[in-house]
Amino acid sequence: MNEIRYVRASTPAQAVALASAEPDTAFVAGGTELTNLMRDGVQVPGLVVDVNRVAERGIEWQPGRVRIGALARMAEVARDTGVRHRLPVVSTALLASASGQVRNMASIGGNLLQRTRCWYYRDTALPCNARVPGSGCPALAGENRWHAIFGGSESCIRVHPSDLAVALTALDATVLTQGPGGARRLPIETLHRLPGDAPHRETVLEHGELVVAVEVPATAMAARSRYRKVRDRASFEFALVSVAVALELRGRTVRDVRIALGGVAPRPWRAREAEDVLRGERLTDAAVAAAGAVAVRGAVPREHNAFKLDLVSRTLAGVLGELGGGR
Amino acid sequence: MSRYVGKPLHRVDGWAKVTGQARYAADQPIPDLAYGVLVTSTIARGRIRRIDSAAALATPGVLGVYTHENLPRFAEQSPSWVPYAQTLVPMQGTEIRHGGQQVAIVVAESFEQATRAAGLVRVDYDAEQPTIGLVENLSRAYTPPDGTPGALQLRRGDPAAGLAGAAVRVEVEYRTSINHHNPIEPSATLAVWKGDDLTLYESTQSITFTQDAVARMLGLPQERVRVVTPYLGGGFGCKGFVWPHTYLTAAVARLVGRPVKLVLTRAQQYTSCGHRPASVQRLRVGAARDGRLTAITHAVTSHTSRSDIIQFNPIAATQSVYAVPHLEIASQVVEVDLGTTIATRPPSGPSNEALEMALDELSWALEMDPVALRLRNYTDVDPSAPDRPQSRFLRECYTLGAERFGWPRRRPAPGSMRRGELLVGWGMAGAQHNWHPGVAQATVRISTDGRARVTCGTQDIGTGTYTIMVQVAADGLGVRPEDVRAVLGDTRFPPAPSSSGSATATTVGMAVRAAARATREKVVGLAVADPRSPLYGAAPDEVATVDGRLFLRADPGRGESYRQVLGRHGASVEASGGADLSANAGPSYGAAFAEVQVSGVTGEVRVTRLVCAVDAGRVLNPATARSQALGGAVWAIGAALTEHTLVDRRYGRIVTANLAGYLVPVEADVPDIDVIFVDKPAPEANELGARGLGEVTATGAGAAIANAVYHATGQRVREFPITPDKVLAGWR
Ligand SMILES: Cc1cc2nc3c(=O)[nH]c(=O)nc-3n(C[C@H](O)[C@H](O)[C@H](O)COP(=O)(O)OP(=O)(O)OC[C@H]3O[C@@H](n4cnc5c(N)ncnc54)[C@H](O)[C@@H]3O)c2cc1C
Repeated sequence: MNEIRYVRASTPAQAVALASAEPDTAFVAGGTELTNLMRDGVQVPGLVVDVNRVAERGIEWQPGRVRIGALARMAEVARDTGVRHRLPVVSTALLASASGQVRNMASIGGNLLQRTRCWYYRDTALPCNARVPGSGCPALAGENRWHAIFGGSESCIRVHPSDLAVALTALDATVLTQGPGGARRLPIETLHRLPGDAPHRETVLEHGELVVAVEVPATAMAARSRYRKVRDRASFEFALVSVAVALELRGRTVRDVRIALGGVAPRPWRAREAEDVLRGERLTDAAVAAAGAVAVRGAVPREHNAFKLDLVSRTLAGVLGELGGGR
Repeated sequence: MSRYVGKPLHRVDGWAKVTGQARYAADQPIPDLAYGVLVTSTIARGRIRRIDSAAALATPGVLGVYTHENLPRFAEQSPSWVPYAQTLVPMQGTEIRHGGQQVAIVVAESFEQATRAAGLVRVDYDAEQPTIGLVENLSRAYTPPDGTPGALQLRRGDPAAGLAGAAVRVEVEYRTSINHHNPIEPSATLAVWKGDDLTLYESTQSITFTQDAVARMLGLPQERVRVVTPYLGGGFGCKGFVWPHTYLTAAVARLVGRPVKLVLTRAQQYTSCGHRPASVQRLRVGAARDGRLTAITHAVTSHTSRSDIIQFNPIAATQSVYAVPHLEIASQVVEVDLGTTIATRPPSGPSNEALEMALDELSWALEMDPVALRLRNYTDVDPSAPDRPQSRFLRECYTLGAERFGWPRRRPAPGSMRRGELLVGWGMAGAQHNWHPGVAQATVRISTDGRARVTCGTQDIGTGTYTIMVQVAADGLGVRPEDVRAVLGDTRFPPAPSSSGSATATTVGMAVRAAARATREKVVGLAVADPRSPLYGAAPDEVATVDGRLFLRADPGRGESYRQVLGRHGASVEASGGADLSANAGPSYGAAFAEVQVSGVTGEVRVTRLVCAVDAGRVLNPATARSQALGGAVWAIGAALTEHTLVDRRYGRIVTANLAGYLVPVEADVPDIDVIFVDKPAPEANELGARGLGEVTATGAGAAIANAVYHATGQRVREFPITPDKVLAGWR
């Protein structure tokens, strides 16, 4: 193995300073992702900065919102009573993620910043524009069943695999960071970049910028929310497609709705047009079908993943049906 | 006398395993150990232009970097298939024939140093476009020559006429995918030289093959090579023969003059020890209105490596299970640039699944219950071997399984059993697996303290061999199992075959039985000849032995213990015995009944109930047997629903080469599985009455699941694994 230096930061400022002082540094929290990337040679940091003692770990309820520390473990957040009742989409997304063992170790910040599962990205013997800029994207004409139908480019069609990020996108959460240039508040939807022609730039974070917490509005809509994940095996597997919906109904009429799709794009994919179709409408089969059709408008399927279009529409209909209390 | 055989004795090695005391090949505490790490080709076809080891050699701790340029020539350059799993000997030249082919081994003081240095070995290739993909290359399919392993061309009667005369015909094509074995213990070799003597701690299903193959490759007499495999963390076929990493490690250890340990990485496990090839299978089945089969044609095409032409999706059930007058079996292969294909638990699984799906389709075409269809075509005689004596209790499998499952309550119409969004389906299928027993020897020694030790050069691949040896020896001697210790996994012990073909319990069991009986005869002989024994003067066959005591059958009060006899004798008594069951190969049978729930929204399929009825002759140990049957059923769930290896066409590289990409079933995919054993002895198989059972449940449960998916949805998915996208395709 390579020589790796390891330091344990004791304050956020120190963590940021250490990580931004050199080019090849990485934060580590639970380590469930970073160690795998290192073992596979995908990421080879010279300095690993352990942030387990510096960032927030708590779940703090404030009026109208909750602040979840970046170091809170996935398992802790999933079983938090407030999260379960007031943000069910978050706890169901977390419980549909990874395994019990991984969730006990893995942090919220690490989850949002996990890398794509694209096997071309994770195999250093193969080209990948996101890993080695300009080397090519074998997924375009290769094994692309899991790849993006939205937001990809001719240089990269990766999918972001976080379930949590999809749920948080449906709740319009904000990511709080502290970086070399100070503190920032980033709408979660802007955290991950679309690949465009610079697929190696995966997020908007600056080098050495630390995620401190996530802030989630605890609205009425958030309390009526749900996550559904479709996958090839019953557990311990990433999504083929997932759908997060938060819904506010008055009678049968949709007062407001948020829809985010997972497994389909390089970042959680907000289906705004589908939301628009539903807002103010009665939640009928026809409205749901119209939303499902609009949700996949503009999708760019590849050789093996065209099924995702149909699957998105169907899954969205399924979730709306459950949230609407049967159609 | 069977007091312990047939009882659910706990695994005798269970305690050592759960407490971590069981030392597997890679766990051996060898002093002065060095670590080997493989460098494998990143291209699938072409040549090595240049290997630059300088950077690797310059890193700390590196003891050597071995490539085709500095590795001595092996004594065998074109070894025979079996005991060698592949005939290509890597690192002897520049040609690359598959992705992941070994091109270098780095040896260093630590595993970490070796891994790092391996990453620094620079290999330049002249790559050629590989041929990848069975379906994409079907036009290149050809019939391999007679004698090609796994290939069968067979014709019975007049299939064309049989089909023409059928009232109902089904003509279908099924596809199955590449599967990998994924034992939890990766393949490992630990090579220790003392002068010209080599000891290999090896994770192998066959120490005998390993000894033979490594000795020949290194040009050593066999007796200079000792192979030790005390425990195995699963093999499933990928450790059944000898792969290059084993002899490469032995050769390299000799060069560095240190013991060397090499453990395949999980990714290397996908390219270093074989895989099950994909298959395309075409079936035509004809039947009369009453369901009587008139003809079956079954053609299977599999891919094979260019180096070793093998058809590793053999057809076993089609010619042997049903009474069908006209039959044609055909096998073809397509050469691709992948590594050698190999037996994968169970090799004949995909072909039987296809047959059983086709029969299900026929049952729908006939509007006939699928169990009734199978019973209509039932035969007690194997049509492919009518003269072979055979006990066959397949009928019992159907009836016991159907009853336990509640099959008669099934509502026949597809999609008629709904629970909310979930479409419920019930399906069934027959199972059949040929077991391949062999020749084994064993030794039993009983000591002056009355305790026995049974040795056999077999290996316990996780199936319960230790435990079966104890049970059989206990019965053969007439002692309690607590007083028997089984020792195995060492070529110093009497030889036994590869633990594969579902045959170890019976082959080894019969050898142990012979050895135990011979030992017992000796001790009885001592007792009846000894004036100090209460048995003095008795005829040996009047003496019974039970739980450590020898006594007169007619007068049980008259007797003494083994310990007393041997104590007076003052020395232990030992005898060997052997068994040759190689002529007794034949089928075991089963029936599987599955309930699935298919989401009407997403197309996800989950198995909610599975009943497997098994006829494998007499059950030697219901606990270990059940475990085998469960394991087989889980394999079938995986093959049917989740497992497939994907290979990138352009690069010839397996992209799913890890347990996150290759989806074996997890707990949540596996329902309660109900296993029923018919448990009737198969006298023609051997005196224990047992046939093979390690694989049979994996040959039918997949089709039962697929047939249940049809019943649930009314859509037939004819390609494994049945993933949501394929279910949805039928709904669009
Ligand atoms: C087998 C397996 C299955 C999985 N299945 C799923 C799944 O189904 N769904 C799902 O959503 N996820 C899944 N995951 C991913 C898992 O959720 C992530 O590995 C985990 O959340 C990462 O958290 P961590 O704390 O261990 O991160 P680490 O490994 O410590 O870090 C991950 C990345 O985030 C960076 N990082 C960590 N903390 C911070 C911070 N505070 N600020 C800035 N950067 C930071 C690190 O530098 C690194 O790049 C799976 C993982 C495994 C191993």
